[in-house]
Amino acid sequence: MSEARVLHAEVGIVGAGPGGLAAAVELVRQGLSVLVLDEGQQPGGQIFRQLPPGAAALPGQEPPSHQAGHGLLAAATEHAVPVHHGATVWNVAPGRLWFEQHGQSWLLCCRHLVLATGAFDRCVPFPGWTLPGVTTAGALQVMVRGYGVVPGRRALVVGSGPLLLPTVATLHQAGVEVVAALEASSRWRALRALPAVLTNAARRREALWYARSLLRAGVRLRWGWTVFACEGDGRVQRAVIGKVDAEGNPRRGSERRLEVDVVGAGFGLVPSIELGQLLGCRTRYDAPRGGHCLEVDGQQGTSVAGVYAVGEACGVGGAEVAMAEGRLAAAAIVAAVRQTPIDAALRTRVAAERRAADAMLRAFAPLPGLHRLATDDTLVCRCEDVPLARARAAAALHGDSLRAIKVGCRAGMGPCQGRICGSSLQALATGRCDVVPDLPVAQVPGKPVRSATIVDAPEPPATA
Amino acid sequence: MSGSRLPGQDQRPAVTFTFAGRPVVARAGDSIAMALWAAGERELRRSSGEGRPRGVYCNMGVCFDCLVVVDGVTVRGCTTTVQDGMRVERGGRP
Repeated sequence: MSEARVLHAEVGIVGAGPGGLAAAVELVRQGLSVLVLDEGQQPGGQIFRQLPPGAAALPGQEPPSHQAGHGLLAAATEHAVPVHHGATVWNVAPGRLWFEQHGQSWLLCCRHLVLATGAFDRCVPFPGWTLPGVTTAGALQVMVRGYGVVPGRRALVVGSGPLLLPTVATLHQAGVEVVAALEASSRWRALRALPAVLTNAARRREALWYARSLLRAGVRLRWGWTVFACEGDGRVQRAVIGKVDAEGNPRRGSERRLEVDVVGAGFGLVPSIELGQLLGCRTRYDAPRGGHCLEVDGQQGTSVAGVYAVGEACGVGGAEVAMAEGRLAAAAIVAAVRQTPIDAALRTRVAAERRAADAMLRAFAPLPGLHRLATDDTLVCRCEDVPLARARAAAALHGDSLRAIKVGCRAGMGPCQGRICGSSLQALATGRCDVVPDLPVAQVPGKPVRSATIVDAPEPPATA
Repeated sequence: MSGSRLPGQDQRPAVTFTFAGRPVVARAGDSIAMALWAAGERELRRSSGEGRPRGVYCNMGVCFDCLVVVDGVTVRGCTTTVQDGMRVERGGRP
């Protein structure tokens, strides 16, 4: 029975965002068989989200960077890149990807693996962050650009980093009044990003587009401000905002109240590296790039033979970086199969895009003081309902390691497997806000799936 | 009711499902979470410890906060596409 649910391809790719698709298009073009597994319902990943066919279009213009997305999606269609949507990869080994799709258990056998697993919003707990209507900034982007749903009437956008601007622009396009847009970094700190923006033509165009778009929307970005709390009866109705100092510490006494019905918070991104961890790939810590990343060589190869990583999984960098790395990984795989040289221009492009992205992200590296927004009863783990006081007690009793805190208070043991709390839990529980967090332990299943999916997991064929 | 759809012609067929026993009209291609948000529903489940209301948080399959129960199986509301006649209940613990 399980024999029918084993698939074969030369290259298995996880993620149909810019990195995964760019790799896939190039590999198909070179005549290799490819299969892309993606958790979403349409190709494009989070950054190039598409509306379902037939849905009403988002009014207004798109940022210039989305042109690259259209080009990539058109190329994927033209080359008939096979993508399995709604596929959750829950286990992995070299040349093997086990996934659940529509409640069924599948195995993809391949020679080469490309991890293009992307990233998700960095979450900073604050009082009221679990109230319905308070979401990540990314959630609002998906809502509007992926489903054509208008998030609310009055929105507050808070956080830090280059993704705040697109969130504001999207909300405005959807007809939502953005009552405030708060960037926690100071204007002076953010100015450090300016050289990176000015020296890269594409980034310059993009920044100008957003500056104009905010102007049209009548939204002024407030620097050195953030959300202190959200309040409401069963859903968010008010937000308390206030000033933070250069380290992100809240300045008590600066509070103001706003009436809102939706709040989007995004304090940067965290790379998705769990599958790489399960494979035993070497990782490294890079705070501006979002924390723990997969380490890659000059050809996007990880420390495990036959396993490549591209885009945010190797550290947050954006779509241009991901596409350049996807093409380089594809070229490296073709080179390995055919014993041909790799075009040096591909490597130069990756290096240039990474340089520009790193310079920009360094100006928005996570601010340690933001961990002081949480109060004793603020939940630090949403899955297990663990308040800060209990996490502190666990750290005091069991030790400062992520593992000790987890064991002591169950934070990080729920279905999100520590993805949401992992980047902040240790700083919050130990009170040492600038601590380098331990690498979270990745476990099988990499994401929760039905027990039947694990029980029915197809065995790899003996010959492959 | 807060939350609605983008203006303009939506050519997708309507899909009807129930949430906590009440009928909800969605559009083909909606996720459960987004169909409910557009219908003004914010609370998709109660939290495991203190029983507080929870809803859509990451909207991309990472946080597992939008868990709902479809025909007895717990699923993520944001990664599950609505089907005509689906019976969706508020989620609890997985």
